[in-house]
Amino acid sequence: MKFDAVVIGGGAAGCAAAGRLFDAGMKVCLISAGLTMEDENTDPWKENRALAQRGVTVLRGDRATGAVLEGDRVLSVQTACLDDEPLCARVFVLATGKFFSRGLLSDMQRIYEPVFGADVAYLPGRENWYDPDFSAPQPFLGFGVKTDAQGRVSIGGKCIENLYAVGGIVAKGAAEADMDVIVETYAGK
Amino acid sequence: MKEYDVIVVGGGITGAATARDCAMRGLSTLLVERSDICDGASGRNHGLLHSGARYAVTDREGAEECIRENRILRRIAPNCVEPTGGLFITLPGDSLDYQENFVRCCREAGIDAVPISPREALRLEPAVNPELIGAVKVPDASVDPFRLTDANIIDAMRHGATILKFHTVTGFVRSGGRICGVKVSRPGEIRSKEIRARMVVLAAGIWTAGLARDAGINIGMLPSKGALIIFGHRVAGMVINRCRKPSNADILVPGDVVSVLGTTSDKVPFEDIDDIRATPQEVDLLLREGVSLVPSLSHTRIIRAYAGVRPLVMADSDGDGRSVSRGIVVLDHEQRDGVPGLMTITGGKLTTCRLMAEMVTDAVCARLGVKAACETALRPLPGSGKAHKDDEEVPYFKRAAIGRHGTEVSRMDFDLGHEIICECEQVTRAEIRYAVKTLGVRNISDLRRHTRIGMGTCQGSFCIRKVAEALAEELGQPLREKELIDEYLQERWKGITPVFWGDSLREAEYMQRTHKDEV
Repeated sequence: MKFDAVVIGGGAAGCAAAGRLFDAGMKVCLISAGLTMEDENTDPWKENRALAQRGVTVLRGDRATGAVLEGDRVLSVQTACLDDEPLCARVFVLATGKFFSRGLLSDMQRIYEPVFGADVAYLPGRENWYDPDFSAPQPFLGFGVKTDAQGRVSIGGKCIENLYAVGGIVAKGAAEADMDVIVETYAGK
Repeated sequence: MKEYDVIVVGGGITGAATARDCAMRGLSTLLVERSDICDGASGRNHGLLHSGARYAVTDREGAEECIRENRILRRIAPNCVEPTGGLFITLPGDSLDYQENFVRCCREAGIDAVPISPREALRLEPAVNPELIGAVKVPDASVDPFRLTDANIIDAMRHGATILKFHTVTGFVRSGGRICGVKVSRPGEIRSKEIRARMVVLAAGIWTAGLARDAGINIGMLPSKGALIIFGHRVAGMVINRCRKPSNADILVPGDVVSVLGTTSDKVPFEDIDDIRATPQEVDLLLREGVSLVPSLSHTRIIRAYAGVRPLVMADSDGDGRSVSRGIVVLDHEQRDGVPGLMTITGGKLTTCRLMAEMVTDAVCARLGVKAACETALRPLPGSGKAHKDDEEVPYFKRAAIGRHGTEVSRMDFDLGHEIICECEQVTRAEIRYAVKTLGVRNISDLRRHTRIGMGTCQGSFCIRKVAEALAEELGQPLREKELIDEYLQERWKGITPVFWGDSLREAEYMQRTHKDEV
């Protein structure tokens, strides 16, 4: 399936991104696993439905499992439910959130981003991931993918031209993608 | 001013059992505990009712004590004990000669150890490592230490004992060289009051060393930290031990709906004993070893990690602490140190708590000239016995409470509180009220120990606000709701941080975002 843009993650950030790109006239696919923590005021399911009604292709209850890259560009992503049907696009937006929504996974030694294997900014050593005081600021909530000034994700230190990140997945202090820049670069072409 | 016959210092299982024994022999008894009942090592262990098999090779006397007490506790506290049975498995690399010697030692100690084939072991307990090369069946069991301690406390009270919680012993009342009571104060208060007694018994686990020092007595003790992990499922139905010289992480014990893996053994300084936490390194070690016992542990959800401190006692003649004993130690300080009026009971195990109490109470009675015989092995503890008739339909809201408290449920008023507050563990309003009235809980962590509230799958994530509201109401302190929540979250955080990866990390983010205004 071919789109202009694929947005991965159907929480608040992903919905806003998909809506903005769609409004700019792009053909948009939104992959929404439904693992969000938002309350009823920002119900992502409601948002997902509204986007679907407007014409965005919303894959509800599906999740991205991997991607195909060529050089410094993403060609397509696969999902769990459509594993033999790559979703191709010119631009990709990563909005999968942090740990609860499984945007970041972890094991005893490391924290990683599971769809692209994107570079993650975090402190090595599990004992550095938390503050023993529950009420203190928690380091792990600042972990996320590294981005360049335009909010583009890198893999193995190399910036990926057409992969942008927004929302909770972006590391604290790193830049989120500016949707206007994406629209300017990719819409109407 | 009232003078007690005995003051017992320490509200763990040893102190509770001692208070019960003293009270049953007709002594007027006071138990002083600085925190909540079961807040020290008594509540931070495997919950294993030893058959004695673990000690059969290295400590015959300890093994014999265990199997005797194992049989007694099954009889007097059936609602606290789950007769799961246990396996000692031999893995490739372990020695089958050790197993042979182990079986012989068990039998000599009177423990019913039956060697079975690996195939039979896998049939009995499919969770064990299928590569095992040998197995022995023993009468190990699972015991709920909270329930057992509560039952002892309740029985002590019913025999006239007074329980004074949340009071620290700050010193001793002396007359000449004699100890004739204790000074106590509430935490944070400077003002202390004196309580007099003919005999003071120290039963404060590792904290005994400091108390004895205040009395001018030196007891050589070593704090030995043991870390454990709780898994969110009952991965095995039986207690599983490794058949080799006792080592790290070689016991897995099922209890209620969870499994407990442990333990480690590391000396820690005395400065650390009030804030003991399991570390990520200990968790790594426990998991590495535990997986060879039961492979499915590698992908079982971990609920939390925690640690307790064993009070190891050095032999009196031994200054450098090489020969430590895990056996029962009764010290009569009049005989040992020339300080009349003071005794210490320490060492021992959860399994031998009743025997420890009997030994020290015998010594107390001898000093006080009391002749009453010990009856603690003969009389059942509160809660045991049939909670309902065979043909009686038990309503859903009572079932979990019967499992926890046995016949004690007759003291809960379900007409006024059958609303379920904690869904995971099915704790009702009536049970909370019972815990407040009978066991004097003051916060959610206390409530947890006495009702299992928040010990289930969600670990309080979903029910904590409801629990806090209900508890604040039962305490008659509606304004304390937020404080109750904060205290609980801090305690939960302490348990989750050593296992801070995977789903625990997801839960941690959920906790932070739900319970903090800003993260």
